[in-house]
Amino acid sequence: MLKLTGISKGFTGVQALSSIDFDVRAGEIHALVGENGAGKSTTIKIIAGAYKPDSGQIEFDGRPVHWVRPADAKAAGIHVIYQEFVLFPHLTVAENIFLGHERRGAFGMIDHARTRKDAADLLHKLGVDIDPDKLVSELTVADQQMVEISKALVHKVKLLILDEPTAVISGREAELLFARLAALKAEGVAIVYVSHRLEEIFQIADRVTVFKDGQHVVTTDIGKVDRHRLISHMVGRDLRDVFPAKRQSGAPGKVVLKAENVSVEGRVRNAGIELRAGEITALAGMVGSGRTELAMGIFGGLPISSGSITIDGEQLAGITPATAIGKGIGFVTEDRKGQGLAMQLDVAANISAANLSEVTSGGLLDRSREHAIARQEIDNYRIACRGPGTPVALMSGGNQQKVIVARWARTSRKVLILDEPTRGVDVGAKTEIYRIMRGLADSGIAILMISSELPEVVGMADKVVVMREGAISGELSGPAITEEAIMSLATQHPVREAAA
Amino acid sequence: MSATVSIGSAGFSRSLKKNQGIVVVIALLVLLLVFGGFVSDRFRTTNNVMNILEQSTGLALVSLGQTLTILTGGIDLSVGSMISLLSTLTSGMIGGDASMVAPVIAGILLLGLAIGLVNGLLIIWLKVHPLIVTLGTGAVLQGLVLLYSLGPAGKVPRGFTYLAYGKVLGIPIGAVVVVVLFALVGAFLTYFRLGRYIYAVGDDDAGARLMGLPRAKVILVVYGFCGFCCALTAIYLTARFGVGQPYTGLNYTLASITPVVVGGTLLTGGKGGVLGTLLGVYLISLLNNVLNFMDVSTHYQLIAQGLIVIVAVSIYVEKRRRV
Amino acid sequence: MVDVAHGKPAEFAGPAPSPASRLAPYALPIFLVLMIAVAGIISPAFLSANNISNMLLQAAPLGIVVIGQAFVIILRGLDLSVSSVMATSAVIATSFSGQNADVLPILLIAIGIGVATGVANGLLVTKRSVSPFLATLATMIVLQGIRFAYTQGAPSGNVPPLFRTLGSATWNGIPYNIMLLVVLAAVFWVLLAKSRFGREVYITGGNPTTARLLGINADRVTIVGYMISGGLAAIAGLVLSGYVGIVDNWVGRGFELDSIVAAVMGGISLAGGRGGIIGGLFGAAVLIVVFNAVLLFGLPVQFQIIIKGIVIVAAAAFYVRRSR
Repeated sequence: MLKLTGISKGFTGVQALSSIDFDVRAGEIHALVGENGAGKSTTIKIIAGAYKPDSGQIEFDGRPVHWVRPADAKAAGIHVIYQEFVLFPHLTVAENIFLGHERRGAFGMIDHARTRKDAADLLHKLGVDIDPDKLVSELTVADQQMVEISKALVHKVKLLILDEPTAVISGREAELLFARLAALKAEGVAIVYVSHRLEEIFQIADRVTVFKDGQHVVTTDIGKVDRHRLISHMVGRDLRDVFPAKRQSGAPGKVVLKAENVSVEGRVRNAGIELRAGEITALAGMVGSGRTELAMGIFGGLPISSGSITIDGEQLAGITPATAIGKGIGFVTEDRKGQGLAMQLDVAANISAANLSEVTSGGLLDRSREHAIARQEIDNYRIACRGPGTPVALMSGGNQQKVIVARWARTSRKVLILDEPTRGVDVGAKTEIYRIMRGLADSGIAILMISSELPEVVGMADKVVVMREGAISGELSGPAITEEAIMSLATQHPVREAAA
Repeated sequence: MSATVSIGSAGFSRSLKKNQGIVVVIALLVLLLVFGGFVSDRFRTTNNVMNILEQSTGLALVSLGQTLTILTGGIDLSVGSMISLLSTLTSGMIGGDASMVAPVIAGILLLGLAIGLVNGLLIIWLKVHPLIVTLGTGAVLQGLVLLYSLGPAGKVPRGFTYLAYGKVLGIPIGAVVVVVLFALVGAFLTYFRLGRYIYAVGDDDAGARLMGLPRAKVILVVYGFCGFCCALTAIYLTARFGVGQPYTGLNYTLASITPVVVGGTLLTGGKGGVLGTLLGVYLISLLNNVLNFMDVSTHYQLIAQGLIVIVAVSIYVEKRRRV
Repeated sequence: MVDVAHGKPAEFAGPAPSPASRLAPYALPIFLVLMIAVAGIISPAFLSANNISNMLLQAAPLGIVVIGQAFVIILRGLDLSVSSVMATSAVIATSFSGQNADVLPILLIAIGIGVATGVANGLLVTKRSVSPFLATLATMIVLQGIRFAYTQGAPSGNVPPLFRTLGSATWNGIPYNIMLLVVLAAVFWVLLAKSRFGREVYITGGNPTTARLLGINADRVTIVGYMISGGLAAIAGLVLSGYVGIVDNWVGRGFELDSIVAAVMGGISLAGGRGGIIGGLFGAAVLIVVFNAVLLFGLPVQFQIIIKGIVIVAAAAFYVRRSR
């Protein structure tokens, strides 16, 4: 159905894809796996016509194609469910579902009654109970995902691509999705399924392709591979080499930060968490379970509606990021470009950004001191750049992330929070970031890591706190930390043993 | 309000659901009406109501076009210059010759449409924000009209003023045109795909692209229509004043935005509609009328208008979660 | 790409920059020099001491407004109220006895009004999340109404001689007002490019959320930005009143758009976080030269407006393409 040959794509400073091959047949579910930054999303966007490849060929339905706009791929019968939803918040559920395929009656006028009814039918067929008249902005993230999925069922598509569709839905909804995919497959639809959850892949996929660092590693029938082989294909080496040794058992460090009964309006309910010096605590759970919001509440980035936060025995009132930073807390945000970096500024300015006092005298900036600090950190963290004056916008994701970590490592005397610290980072930089985190912990800092990547959580965390629907659903430590245990706490549905 | 009746109750409830601000504007209208009644006996006369309707025509027409550009997340800052140019050309080209009226009106409407389309094309091609593009084209048009004439140009035959002062069944002709046009555009937004896409583009431009929606077509239609509305406004104003001059439209650039935001359309696009704008136009006209009856000078009317904008946009601000 | 933080061309980490992209930061100064050269060749009168002195006189008020506009635009905003502030401070300047003794109170009241307008703009933008366009439009209208009410539509009175000197006199051919512009530009350049506050302006303008999470009081930074713009507009209004001598209710009309045009031409992006005062001043210089050349070449004055319109769109399109 679809065949990519020798596709390459580069962005400023990064080669996202180097000459990859990939094909999908009609009536199969083809899983595409790889770590963050492996090139999966870029591949999807190329198939969807949102990016133009630098070189290589695309064949669809046996003919070479050159899509310039997403509309071209769409017209050819390709539907993509992106990880970041393409939903219009001020339109209703029904309007969103039929956007571009409006139900029309006389004189080509939109038939609102039929739109509503067809939307209700579609959602019913999918097995979910969502009011088609609601504005999409009023739905939960899980319901938004189901709306996004139902858009794929509006008309017959030849190729359906799903990017991490289960990141925000769990158990029952996931099963509904899988049933629907099986039916589509039976109708001869080709399906590309991107997911981190290997269990799912073994459950539904026919073939699997692994990407790593923008390169094609292997494509094989699902029956010919097991879980461990798949992981080693993805990581490219044994996991033991990727993660540094965990904290040696011994007396646990003292409690540095204690959050009790913290609520963030609409997102977190009465959550408590304790962070100890020298320990890496992971905050796990589904996307949308309130992990980021809890951490933001602790940092003062979101207002907490109730609860208390104590640092070194001192209770903090009315916490803001400024006071949190003053108390020695740092926050490496998930959205590097949107919330982390000052994209227009250079490396030196980004490193000093959380602690401008260090480079200020008499109200003026001391650029030479700022550059000296930056040079030191560039060496420390082996940040690849031309020097302190390099604009961060021109650097790769991994090096940008190291700049942010360097920034916060300077100011975080007590606690460092890292939200998805290795998202969009290549394996080499990933390993380094893990070592940096462990090194900071060993120096006596309490680390709180939020992560959706279970191998990362299992590989790094001394303690895991799991959240579900805004509340803490359990805690794990030591050998009890397994992917299965975390998933079960995150969804409260016992995860079936997969084919592996 | 009769606009909604002709769209049908479905359209009205839909408007309400999507724009609760309309309720606020209606409440303010009622309040002002009651208040006005206390201020002066003459306020309550049919004559005065017709006056308000007649005077609001120009603002209503240009605001209609502006509503659509704002719904797509854009803005048209060239409307003032467009109106000045088109109005001056209208009287200048007619030059008092009754036989020229029909061809000139047709030509002006086409020219307005064409200028609007140029705005749209520049926005699409240059990928520069509409604010800058239309600021630039507005300056160019202002220069052009001043090259054409530095003062009032030409004149119109006596009958031409009928367009502004004439009445249909006792209602000013302009007011009828306004209500019909608003109803048509309201129906277009509610019942036609392109209308739906106007909202989608304003709601999430990048998403609209990913969905393969005809973004360029939406932009062209919206700015083209805005130009057309400016032509209507220009013709109306020429009829009203009896002549066009190169500063006729000056105040309309900013004035056309006020009723739109007062009516609850978000300046960032994707939410709002023409019903709110029409009510906003009536609210502003009514306010000025009441202030006139109270013998408040135009200076204070300005202050009141500025404050209305501030209050309106402060009310409608969406509660955003601050991270 | 100009490194906004310290006004030097930025270093590139990626592939070696082509000669063309190396020249890009200097595009505007080069353009300005070329324009002056061409104008000088076509009409030697353009380069006469008298004409240059004249251009500088006109450039000063615009330049002063552009400095303030730069702060606001880098903070992702824009300030339409500057023209209203200018007219108001000009009206204030004539509302006393017209003697030099009144200079101090005039200065205090005018700057006070400008700064207060800035506070109102800043509060609306930050605390009420009103779009800068609307917020400054509304304060512009309100201030206009207040001014009209105050003057009853017809301002009268005289500008104190000191302002006349400041606005229109020269010292060895160098206008006093351009000296004032240079001093103000230097002070605010240090503030924007060299101080901690300036860094906070760039971080906040680049992304207010990022700024907040870095412990920066983004709201306060933004409000101060609007205060600077308002205060400088007030000063520009006084300078302009000294230049024109007669004050009406519309002194400064058009400066809101001209100052935005100059800033955008100077590489200050409306998306925020980019650009600097020097670029903005070059933009103002280009605008003034264009205006002057139009007259000198005997073209109808209307071409000033037309060229301005073309230039702003072309400049914006140029920067959009370069930032890719």
